[in-house]
Amino acid sequence: MDKDRRKFLKLSTVATASLIPSVTSASTEHCEDDFDNAFGVLVDTTVCVGCRNCELACNQQNELPEQPEEHFSDKSVFNSMRKPSVEAYTVVNRSIDSQPSELGSFSKIQCMHCNHPACVSACIVGALTKCTHGVVSWDAWKCIGCRYCMIACPFQIPAYEFKEPLKPRVMKCTFCYDRIHDNKKPACVESCPVEALTFGKRRDLIKLAHSRIETSPDKYYDHVYGEKEIGGTSWMYLASKEFINYDLPKLGEEQIPQMTEIIQHGIFKSFLPPLALYGFLGLVMHSIRQNKKKETENDEQS
Amino acid sequence: MMRRFIRHSLYILIVSLLVPMSVGFANPPIHNSDLTCNVCHNCDNPTKESPCTRMCPTRENMHITSEHLLSEAPDTIMLNYIEKESASVRFDHKSHASMSQMNMSCKTCHHYSPKDRIPPCHECHARESDPINLKKPSLKGAFHRQCLGCHREWSHDTKCVVCHISCDDNLSLDNTDVSDIVGISHPVIHVPTSKIYHTPYEPGPIVTFYHDEHVDLFGFQCVDCHVEENCGYCHDLTHPKNLVKTEEEKHEMCVQCHQINNCGHCHDTKRKPAFSHASTGWPLNQYHDKLDCRACHPTRKKIGRLDRHCNSCHGGWNQQNFRHAITGLILDENHIEWECTDCHPDNQYNKQDCSGCHDDDITPENHIPGKHVVQH
Repeated sequence: MDKDRRKFLKLSTVATASLIPSVTSASTEHCEDDFDNAFGVLVDTTVCVGCRNCELACNQQNELPEQPEEHFSDKSVFNSMRKPSVEAYTVVNRSIDSQPSELGSFSKIQCMHCNHPACVSACIVGALTKCTHGVVSWDAWKCIGCRYCMIACPFQIPAYEFKEPLKPRVMKCTFCYDRIHDNKKPACVESCPVEALTFGKRRDLIKLAHSRIETSPDKYYDHVYGEKEIGGTSWMYLASKEFINYDLPKLGEEQIPQMTEIIQHGIFKSFLPPLALYGFLGLVMHSIRQNKKKETENDEQS
Repeated sequence: MMRRFIRHSLYILIVSLLVPMSVGFANPPIHNSDLTCNVCHNCDNPTKESPCTRMCPTRENMHITSEHLLSEAPDTIMLNYIEKESASVRFDHKSHASMSQMNMSCKTCHHYSPKDRIPPCHECHARESDPINLKKPSLKGAFHRQCLGCHREWSHDTKCVVCHISCDDNLSLDNTDVSDIVGISHPVIHVPTSKIYHTPYEPGPIVTFYHDEHVDLFGFQCVDCHVEENCGYCHDLTHPKNLVKTEEEKHEMCVQCHQINNCGHCHDTKRKPAFSHASTGWPLNQYHDKLDCRACHPTRKKIGRLDRHCNSCHGGWNQQNFRHAITGLILDENHIEWECTDCHPDNQYNKQDCSGCHDDDITPENHIPGKHVVQH
């Protein structure tokens, strides 16, 4: 009996140990070091004229709730700062410091497709992934609707279909993944009449952004937003003034998931620490039981 | 001994072979006195991996300020290079070119031009943006950047139909309304005849500026004073018009002609009267009064005191061809024979001297040497 149990324990340990490598290899499906080769978009707010054509194109491409075309030529929306919603993956905002009498400068807001996305890290079921082309995509099949991603996002981008109780979706910019896959530009980039949006490899866009600042130092605020913020984002911005005016938050260079991942991933690293803990506890229990057994045997003998 | 000789000669042979080789293979630096590294590279240490090259300054694409006449260009251009995607645009080149004259003229839009001609936009900007050279916008982007920057400021609108004519419209090129620039006409710009400025200068706080005089009388062109005051002067969003000027900036324009140390010329305690030539000590007669200032004061900016001798301007007048009647006096037959200088010594034609022939009691006032005529 004793021998059988020991055999079972041995077998089960071997079995779990053999499972670990397969689990770990599946969980590291990131394109970790290829961010520079990933795609991105450079938004030049000094060029944007606030026509909202990108909003219209996005609406049509992603089959978002149908709106009349006049809806997208309404300039009164600029009176408030908007955030993307379930009805719009992207919105154009007028800078905060613009006077009501003037037209102001504009900036397009959407999912930034971070290099180290906090939403991906926060998602407990892996419904959000950062992978090929730098796209942060959402998988309807995996999502359980916990909305941790909404809380995790430093830009407050993901929206949730509260009105759909049966099949609610997390709604955010898809980077027009299908279009990129077909060697096309995202719909918003394609529709921009002034080419304020430049689509390309992230590495090339960073170079382009810096060369623009260098060529016209009077025109640009000397910073490329998204180059280093929270470890870099696929969407990057150029502006003539501080980015806080465009509702782009001031963020450090440290990746947001870094701290939590060190702790969380440390605790559950390859499931070894829990195994070790339970193994240790098991051993303690086992030794206690052995001791007790010996004591009872001794008592019986005496 | 023999062995040492062979060894030495071998050394010499190797060295003599290596020296020219090393010299020959060394990559000679390219010395071009015109070309510094930063002409092509925008960082200090370019490497093969990251050459940080600038947009190539090819000889054909150098930014040359070639001067062309407006008459060389077509009045209206039909922009229909991307016709499949959008309706054509009837572009009134003439109006835009004349508007740009206050700014940088042709350069406002034609930024990269070779020496002899101004190429059309589609010669450099392709229909599709270049995935390699992300700096250069596509033709669509280039057009829209040129147009929308001003048009949205003007009309506060980015509607496509402002420029893109619908297919139903008549596409004939001469069907343009010049006053209608973006669907609406510009409000009339009020040009003041005169303007009163209240200044902190205590001895003379009031400065009266006669705008009409400067334009009509002194012959200034708008751009002589309103430098760089193009559409963007009022309509620029990124750099709003700075209405607060320093003392220096306020005086800057005036002192180009007026003396800065003569404050009383502009500053007074009351409104100054309009300019009268009599105030200069030279009231104009009816002939001179008809003339433009610049007929006598030919320099472009500075209007100064002129030589008052008639022949400083009328150098061609002499005894034979001068009609004395134009002065308002027809000489009688006694005086008409005399030389000019007999009555007007030292070429002082506004003074008469009768003492050469007559007694002192005879003056031009009491003895007119002819008869006055009504001047026409």
